[in-house]
Order: sequence, then structure tokens, then C-alpha cells
Amino acid sequence: KKMAAKISVVLRPVKSIVVRFCPFESNVESTRKFLVCINHKKIQATNRNCEVTADVRHDGSEPLVDVMFADGERLIMKGANLTTTEMLTALGSRCSAKELKEEQKSKKKSR
Amino acid sequence: APAVKMAALSGSGAPWRRGWLPALQLIRRGSKAVTRHWKAMHFQRQKLMAVTEYLAPWPAIPPSCLAPRKEAAEEDNGYVRLLRRQVEEVFRDNRMIAVCQYNSMPDEDVVLMRYYLRKHNIEVKFVLNEIVRPVLSQSKYKNLLPLFVARNILLVSPETKAKEMLRVLKGVPQVNLLGACIDDTILSRQGVENFAKLPSLEASQGQMVGALALLPSQTSSLLQRGSMHLTALLDQHIRQLQAGETGSPAEPTPAQSSGAH
Repeated sequence: KKMAAKISVVLRPVKSIVVRFCPFESNVESTRKFLVCINHKKIQATNRNCEVTADVRHDGSEPLVDVMFADGERLIMKGANLTTTEMLTALGSRCSAKELKEEQKSKKKSR
Repeated sequence: APAVKMAALSGSGAPWRRGWLPALQLIRRGSKAVTRHWKAMHFQRQKLMAVTEYLAPWPAIPPSCLAPRKEAAEEDNGYVRLLRRQVEEVFRDNRMIAVCQYNSMPDEDVVLMRYYLRKHNIEVKFVLNEIVRPVLSQSKYKNLLPLFVARNILLVSPETKAKEMLRVLKGVPQVNLLGACIDDTILSRQGVENFAKLPSLEASQGQMVGALALLPSQTSSLLQRGSMHLTALLDQHIRQLQAGETGSPAEPTPAQSSGAH
């Protein structure tokens, strides 16, 4: 719980996040906690344009996190057997990698 | 300075030497024995403390070999009992209970949402999972148990206004409706939406009454069809006769038709 609150994710390269789960299943805990952490003030403050949608279904499908990045890339995380920290670190590492790429690009352009 | 002279002249355990005076400059501007700041111990004292440190005795049997100690369950806090009683009351008194996931919202939005829901007589309750879970497992709402993971809020109401509730929740993106228990029926999100689309109770009751009354009315009309047909034919006949006999009196024919009934 404390780890999940401390992981900071820069959401600037992210366009939208869709979290899909079925609350009557038993393997949705980590996905739900991921949703709570993503909606935290600090992470939301990094990118106001990022839309976080929660899709609540009742068809027994497994929990899913679908992240659309601004450059068209898509990250799908199946949260049935993942912990919240793993999902957050995966998302965070990808976001920071993209941030670095963009900074390098902007530096090259300015040169 | 006088204290030092006293200590030197009295002699502290060492062989008594007359007139042994240390160099007075040592103590002139140094600190006393008892200081407000941390003062390093004399080296001899340090050695003494190190030698006489407490060493815990090794247990005869390593603790991993022993059976695990069963920690006594925590006492039932009075506060916890009160909260549980409140939850039980909530489940008993209200017809509609909706469970929603609560993602952190700015406080003003929380207050606004509470206000709009209060207008429809819906109360917002923040609940702790560890209190709700034992209450639910003992009551008949066992299927609501898997819902109570991560932060949740309960929207309770004695009336079942699902449409207004959904409208308010649509304006608040950070609260996600997970499921509801309306009139002891557990519904998922889809079920709540369908329930909201249903017509009101009076309208559906009227529809039911109309559907039930349809069959008997059909039978009654069927039974009366023969005699109605006969009366219609007779009326037409009378009119034809009346139209045919313009001058003759119309009294005997109505008497005949009333006799035929």
C-alpha cells in the first residue's frame, strides 16, 4: 500500500487509460487498487488531458488495463496475476522512457 | 576550581597522595561532569561500559523449531462494535444500497455530490472494508462480499431512484458504480441501468391490470356478440320500415321490437 503510493508516474506521454474489471470476481483487487492509485492527485496533476475511464462489467472477463500513448503505442496489462506495484512500475518505466525520448528529440530539433 | 581541589585532596580510592594537584588549566574552561550537551565518556569508563554490556541468553531450543505462538485475537473494540451496528442498521432500513468504488476526489466535488444525492434522499456513507466484511458474511448478503475491496462508498436510500442516482454519478467520473442491492435483489451495473429504464411502479401496475383485464373483456365481448348483432339488425330493420312507411304510426313497431328483447 505504501509502495504503491510512493511510485510516481509521469503521465505526459499517455493519452488515455481504460481499466476494465468485473467486481464480482475475486482476482480484481490489484486492478482496483491500481485504479485508485492512478486517480491520485499528484499523478493526475502531471497530465490533465489524460482520460481515465473505468469499465465495470459483469461478464466474468479478466481484469484489464489498456493504456494508449500519445505516439500510438498501446500497453495492455492483464491484472489477474499482477500486483499493483508491478503494474505501476511497468507503466512508470515506459512513461519515463518515452519522456527521455521526447526530450532528446526536442533537443535535436532545437539544435 | 575549589571542587577540583576537594577531589584531589580527598583522594578517590587511589593510594592517598598528599598534595596532588592536577594542572588547573585542564578544568578551567572545560565543561563540568553533568552537562546539557552530550559529552564523551572517559576512556576508562567507555571500556567498562563495553565490557559490561548486556548479552541476551541464547534460547535453549531455537524458536523456529517451536510451534508458532497463536496470537490472541484482538479485543472487540467498542468503536468497532458501534460501526458494525450502524452497518447492520443501514442494511435493514434502506431499500436501495449501491456500492461504488471511490477514487480520491477533490473535497468540493465530494460535497457537491453529497448535496445532489441528498436532494433525492440518497445518503452517502464511507465504509471500511474490515468492518463491513464480517457483517456481510454473517447476514444473507454473502454475494456482496467480493465487492468490498479497495476504497468503497455506499449510497443508501429508502426510495429506489436509480435514474437520478445514475445521472449524478455520470457527472462524477471518479466514483464508479460496482453493484447494488435493491429490495434484497443483487444487481450488477448493467442490472441497475436496466432497472432505471423500467417505467415507474404505478405505470407498470397499470400495464399489468390492463393486460389482466384484457382476456375477460374479450370473453364478455364474445358472449355479447350474438345478442348485440341481433339488436343491431333489428334496429336497422325498424329504420327501414320507418323510412318505408312515412305516414303510418311508428308505435306498433317499437312495441314489437321491445317485446322481442
